[in-house]
Amino acid sequence: MYRYDAVDRAVLADRAAEFRDQVRRRLSGELTEDQFKPLRLMNGLYLQLHAYMLRVAVPYGSLDPRQMRALADIARRFDRDYGHFTTRTNIQFNWIRLADAPEILDVLAAADLHAIQTSGNCIRNVTADPYAGAAADELEDPRVWCEAIRQWSSLHPEFSFLPRKFKIAVTASPHDRTAAKVHDIGLLLRRGRDGATGFEVIVGGGMGRTPYVGPTLKAFLPSDRLFSYLEAVLRVYNRHGRRDNIYKARIKILVAALGAEAFGREVEAEWEKIGSGGDLPGSEIARIRDSFTRPELADSPAPGDFEVRRAAEPAFARFVRNNLKAHKLPGYAIVDVSLKGFGETPGDITADQMDVVADLAERFGLDEIRSTHEQNLVLPHIRLADVHTVWKALDAARLATPNINLISDIIACPGLDYCALANARAICVAQDIARRFEAPDRAEAIGELKIKISGCINACGHHHVGHIGILGVDKKGEEFYQLTLGGSGAEDAAVGKMLGPALPIDRVTDAVEAIVDAYLLHRKDGERFLDTLRRTGDAPFREAVYADAH
Amino acid sequence: MKALTANRLSDGEVVFWKSGAWVERLADADVFVAEDTAATAETSARAQPTMAIDPYLIDLVETAGFWTPVSYRERIRALGPSNHERHGKQADGGDAVEALRHAHGAARSSGRVNLIRRK
Amino acid sequence: MPMLIRLSDGVFSQVQDDFVRLGDDEPVAGGDVIVSLGRLLSGDLVRAGGGRLGVWLEPEDEVEALAGRLDQVDLVALAFPKFRDGRAFTSARLLRERLGFAGEVRAVGDVLQDQAGFMVRCGFDAFSPADGSTVEAWAAAAGRHRHVYQRAADGRAPAFADRGSF
Repeated sequence: MYRYDAVDRAVLADRAAEFRDQVRRRLSGELTEDQFKPLRLMNGLYLQLHAYMLRVAVPYGSLDPRQMRALADIARRFDRDYGHFTTRTNIQFNWIRLADAPEILDVLAAADLHAIQTSGNCIRNVTADPYAGAAADELEDPRVWCEAIRQWSSLHPEFSFLPRKFKIAVTASPHDRTAAKVHDIGLLLRRGRDGATGFEVIVGGGMGRTPYVGPTLKAFLPSDRLFSYLEAVLRVYNRHGRRDNIYKARIKILVAALGAEAFGREVEAEWEKIGSGGDLPGSEIARIRDSFTRPELADSPAPGDFEVRRAAEPAFARFVRNNLKAHKLPGYAIVDVSLKGFGETPGDITADQMDVVADLAERFGLDEIRSTHEQNLVLPHIRLADVHTVWKALDAARLATPNINLISDIIACPGLDYCALANARAICVAQDIARRFEAPDRAEAIGELKIKISGCINACGHHHVGHIGILGVDKKGEEFYQLTLGGSGAEDAAVGKMLGPALPIDRVTDAVEAIVDAYLLHRKDGERFLDTLRRTGDAPFREAVYADAH
Repeated sequence: MKALTANRLSDGEVVFWKSGAWVERLADADVFVAEDTAATAETSARAQPTMAIDPYLIDLVETAGFWTPVSYRERIRALGPSNHERHGKQADGGDAVEALRHAHGAARSSGRVNLIRRK
Repeated sequence: MPMLIRLSDGVFSQVQDDFVRLGDDEPVAGGDVIVSLGRLLSGDLVRAGGGRLGVWLEPEDEVEALAGRLDQVDLVALAFPKFRDGRAFTSARLLRERLGFAGEVRAVGDVLQDQAGFMVRCGFDAFSPADGSTVEAWAAAAGRHRHVYQRAADGRAPAFADRGSF
């Protein structure tokens, strides 16, 4: 993992001090709310329904045990003993007092954590593959680039007041676990013809009011030209992105308006003028790359009694089937930690649970913890010989629900229970659906089915890319839900299509069950839900849901 | 009937206007019958930008002897999140909280809509 | 006179603003004047009495339009109609780094001390704060960050260059 040096720490300390002064000036009235709001958003501090919410960055979804314990400390001292992991792999605290924010930032900075640019019209946290450094199918560790982008984008003097927010994802694996194609910039690591690394650059993906799967702007960008190219894209956006209408201000609108080719030509022209002077020196990339190398992951350890336990203990076997992924090194496994316990709020984790995860990463996991855009955690480097021990500890802490990628592994934004932007609640809808499909055999029989729920059109729950997407709308003051089908955030990215009229809250779970039943009826030969849907089209599902409509 | 609500600057707590100051429980708040007294309160509140942020008026309906918000969004603000019964004002319990829980007749929070338009 | 802060050799000081902004129809009577980009480009200007010439750019004005005319211009004023409109940061950088402008680049409009650091880095060297900032407050705000991660117009060494020397 990247280790912050004196320079990185000074940046955090200076930003925290700057924010302390901004808070002081707001509390004294020297700054108006209109002046202060963009400034506090640039430090991740929202005003929500019940309190301030602080969004702490988990840079490219990577944490070490010390950091996880610091987050638990924040939760205990300044919040209600819990935090919430988001679809951009950050963590949110819902019950923050403005007056405490400066001290919280100091506590965070002491653990190399911060809330820099987790909101506001600036470049946000970069999303990385949560299995980076462990996935067998990865070209190289994408976090090298994520850390370089983090630094380049932090307090960037030219790009801190963009038309709107800007989100970048980096993936290095053919299976995209970052939803790169629905980001403002998606960087797909590729090997060039001569064996050099580079990126396929996707620009203009996004969700919200107008979802787009982003077009490929550049099929192969040599990796040593990344930063001059990013500068070119951001500059064209900063100059030409719309500022008259916040719903038309993302880069996806500009790309769609100009057309990808014309937009690409603008970027190329600007890029040519920037030249290689805008690039990061190879020595700096090498320095960052060095920090991510793992000499420990050289030898394959023996698997111990893993197989014996798996054969003998059905509950353990179920956990292995659903929550373990193959590691690039034999003798190791990637362990998914579900934050989707039945009756729990999706993505929520208590301070005590954070400590359990920290301890396990420290004792068994080479100090590595990851957060995913599906609101779960990962212990990416666990020896097979230790998996059973880790499982028992997770299970005791209610972190071992064996439902990764299954129907009850639901993404849900905080919704109207917390968020000032929401039209409807999302958490209770997720909980009700999960309860309906709680029986583990039934959930496994259904297989991979990604349900994503957003409480409003801002789509923080990523409903557009849900296999089943659920969007909360306000219909005459009641909570209604629009269903979409066929979205995907993976390498086969697609925006889901509306199924029919919005449903009242008390009919949503039945509708999901009707969809599942229709799938099971029509499925062939081990098709996933998404495969069956793509083969049959929407009709059988629409009929199933709206069969009794007049 | 209306009440005036905002979020307290220092901690973001949902607050309600009462006699020139801010209280935490809707049950304790001033209730306005007339448009002009409501508007006067709003103007006074806006003149205190270091106390509370963006005050706005909300519509009320009577439930079990208490004044409760018409809109379910404002009921959530007055109660707390529905996924954590011990978080937020609902943790206080009591008759006022029960009335809020059972209030019917949800409608769009017109106060909030006005606030957005005003900006 | 509204406050004008100038940065010179790393030092901020309050200075008198001798420039007068002229509407497009106002005649040039002498002294230091600032005119709109449209007026500058239309070429109807007569520089009277050796006064200095400034040009005012709104965010949507393309700074490249000044190419080839910058030797006639002493001052470029870049407007922030709202402080959240970040286009002038790009304009300032291009003026300095691409067009090689060495005159005064002034931030005008809704200018807040919280942007002082970014403005200096993008090549602004004069500021008309709208938030009542004193010179001391402005200088303090501009100097808050000991390190920077990127190259910009101010020539400050980015962190990776600092590290190279360890």
